[in-house]
Amino acid sequence: MEVLPELATGDVKHLQRCINDLVSLLALPAVWSGGDPSQVLQTLLDALMRMLCLDLVSVRLTDLVGGAPVEIVRFAASRGEAPSAHEICEALSQCSENDSRKWPPLLRNLMGEGDVSIVPLPLGLQGELGVIVAAAERTDFPRQTEALLLTVAANQASIGLQEARLLSHQKRLASELDQRVVQRTAELATANEELKKEFAERRLVEERLGQEEQELKRSEVRKAAIVDSALDCIVTINHEGRITEFNPAAEHTFGYGRDEVLGKYLADVIIPPSLREKHRQGFAHYLATGEARVLGKRIEMIAVRADGSEFPVELAITRIPLEGPPSFTGYLRDITERKRARQELLRSEAFLAEAQNLSRIGSFSWRVPTDEITWSEQLYRIFQIDRDARVTFELICTRIHPEDLSAFQEHIERARRDRSDVQLEFRLQMPDGAVKYVHVAAHIRGEHEYIGAVQDVTERRSSEEALSKARSELAHMARVTSLGALTASIAHEVNQPLSGIITNAGTCLRMLAADPPNVEGARETVRRTIRDGNRAADVISRLRALYGKKEPTIESVDLNEATREVLALSLSELQRNRVIVQQELVDDLPLVAGDRVQLQQVILNLLRNASDAMSTIDDRPRELLIRTEPDDDNRVRLSVSDVGIGFEPQATDKLFEAFYTTKDEGMGIGLSVSRSIIERHHGRLWAMPNGGPGVTFSFSVPCKVGGLTSDSARASRTPSVSDAA
Amino acid sequence: MELRQERRAVERPLVSVVDDDESVRESLPDLLGELGFAARTFSSAEEFLASDCLDQARCLILDIAMPGMSGPDLQRELKLRGQEIPIIFITASTDKSARPRLLEQGAVECLFKPFSDTALLKAMNKAFHRQ
Repeated sequence: MEVLPELATGDVKHLQRCINDLVSLLALPAVWSGGDPSQVLQTLLDALMRMLCLDLVSVRLTDLVGGAPVEIVRFAASRGEAPSAHEICEALSQCSENDSRKWPPLLRNLMGEGDVSIVPLPLGLQGELGVIVAAAERTDFPRQTEALLLTVAANQASIGLQEARLLSHQKRLASELDQRVVQRTAELATANEELKKEFAERRLVEERLGQEEQELKRSEVRKAAIVDSALDCIVTINHEGRITEFNPAAEHTFGYGRDEVLGKYLADVIIPPSLREKHRQGFAHYLATGEARVLGKRIEMIAVRADGSEFPVELAITRIPLEGPPSFTGYLRDITERKRARQELLRSEAFLAEAQNLSRIGSFSWRVPTDEITWSEQLYRIFQIDRDARVTFELICTRIHPEDLSAFQEHIERARRDRSDVQLEFRLQMPDGAVKYVHVAAHIRGEHEYIGAVQDVTERRSSEEALSKARSELAHMARVTSLGALTASIAHEVNQPLSGIITNAGTCLRMLAADPPNVEGARETVRRTIRDGNRAADVISRLRALYGKKEPTIESVDLNEATREVLALSLSELQRNRVIVQQELVDDLPLVAGDRVQLQQVILNLLRNASDAMSTIDDRPRELLIRTEPDDDNRVRLSVSDVGIGFEPQATDKLFEAFYTTKDEGMGIGLSVSRSIIERHHGRLWAMPNGGPGVTFSFSVPCKVGGLTSDSARASRTPSVSDAA
Repeated sequence: MELRQERRAVERPLVSVVDDDESVRESLPDLLGELGFAARTFSSAEEFLASDCLDQARCLILDIAMPGMSGPDLQRELKLRGQEIPIIFITASTDKSARPRLLEQGAVECLFKPFSDTALLKAMNKAFHRQ
């Protein structure tokens, strides 16, 4: 405030403006309230630029926690290409030591020629917060009013920054506190949860204790009721043979009430009249001699009910061990049910035998230590051995197919030794020469006995063979189908040389018919005719190799050569479809072991697929790339890439299913057959979408063990027909 | 014989044969020579277009399926250039359905390989009769 009188001589308007600016600066902290340090500094720099006629104002704010300093800079709007805040701050701090109060008043102008006047304004008491630098090209900078405004601004900024920092510190503390509260709450919730669980467990234990107590009480009641509720009839008699006890089961079984029979002779009540005399004699005999045939034994006899009906019972009589005259308890059980069950058992055994017969399963047991073998009826039938013969291993071995005999004996020895479960399949040869396939499964029961089943699987085996045959028929069909489509192409291939032959022959005749005959010309046409004839023969022999239905043969196959042959056959078809074929057949490709024709089928199929996939492509060349290369794990890989319509990623799995096709025509059988061919070669066939348009189909098959490479194989090959011609 | 052909070529009408198959390129000129024509052969449509034969040939014997530009492609191209040259198509394909379409588009004849010398002569007569 003391400086104001000195300025009174200056322009009043200038002073008014200065005062306005001062008021604005003093109002800034209210704007800053709640903002962070960089917001504080940005509003301050903007205010200074607005108030003072500055060319540049910058700030570098030291980061108290050691991070990178905050650097902000503002330029006069008219400036063109401006250096960055960092460059400015670096230039400013380089010109002197860190203490900005010792900086020179002039500095090289970073934005133009010459020097600028600068005013460094330390932030904080010792400049520990950072520094504001105001700069102007004017030589009169800073005027006194400007120096005043700058100093006030720096002080306001220091206060504002301190507050902002304090605020952010408080915010951090508050958030830490919040976090701790959340954590503690979670801990309490967990503890609470555990308490609840403990409580629930305790209640469970209490409930269980209560249950056990009740259980005990119940068991006592049950015990008391046993006699009453016994399923067996319990009848006691005294030494005279009179009934003294008759339980509810007896009442139910015999049809008498307890009161009706008490005091009556047992013999008169439950023993059929025909046996009564015998009973009386036996009873008297016992009383006289103490000898008894029935005491302590389980005997079966016939009893009679109140209605006179008789039924079988099982009876056990014990003497009641009491002093005085003897008394007896009889336990009787109605065994009508058991007898019927025995009948049922016999019947079900018969059923089992019938089932074994129908299912062609026989069962056996084999006691290992004694070699005692028991066979079911059906097993005799399977082996076609007489029912009365004693079954021994010698006998069994006479029925085993000579080729399977040693394996069978080995299995038996192993079973004898290891006593582990047995699963084996072998052939039987019947006396009439018929062969049967049997499957044997046996489990060890106890330590010494095998129990097992033998199933005649001859029919299943023959249907499996039929299936495999059908599969190879299918492969043949696919081959014929693909050839059907190729017929046109093959005809094309044959027609080319034929056309030459016929034209040459016609020319030859005309030359010979001329006067004088053109013998030299005729000779030339005949030479060409022979060559074209050989070309046609070549095509035919390639065709025959592909078309003939042969059993698969394993030979050394040079995939490169196989590929070239297939290409030779299908090139004209591919050309007709405007497919541009590129070959990348690697030299020194190892040979593979396999069926040449089948592998060529696969290659042919992949070529046709690629060609078909591009049949609607018109906006790019229909390029097909076929390549061979060595693959990992001693394998060879062949791939065919197209730029066609491709397929949906989710369709990849379905591609190889028989009859799946994305084409309108065609049977779609090709890929699944191709895959089965490759798998039969222990290889793998797969499809991958290309990076660009189209798909690459590849297969990879193992190399022939110790195989030669394609080049050395080629050296030993005999020349082909066309070479000879 | 070469000389004789060269000499005669001056008065004989020139026929261009365009076919990628070597057998045809070798055998047809001799037959055409016997039938009274001079012949020049090209292994592709592009080669023919690049040659000076374009204005001289009185008839074009053209294979249908060739790598690169096909026979019908060449026919279209010649039509675009305003070259009204009679075309006899030849093809090794067995697909007879192509013939009517080709005739409709102005071809003189479409011969299926192998064809006889008389069939060719008949087609040639048709081509020259038309002019």
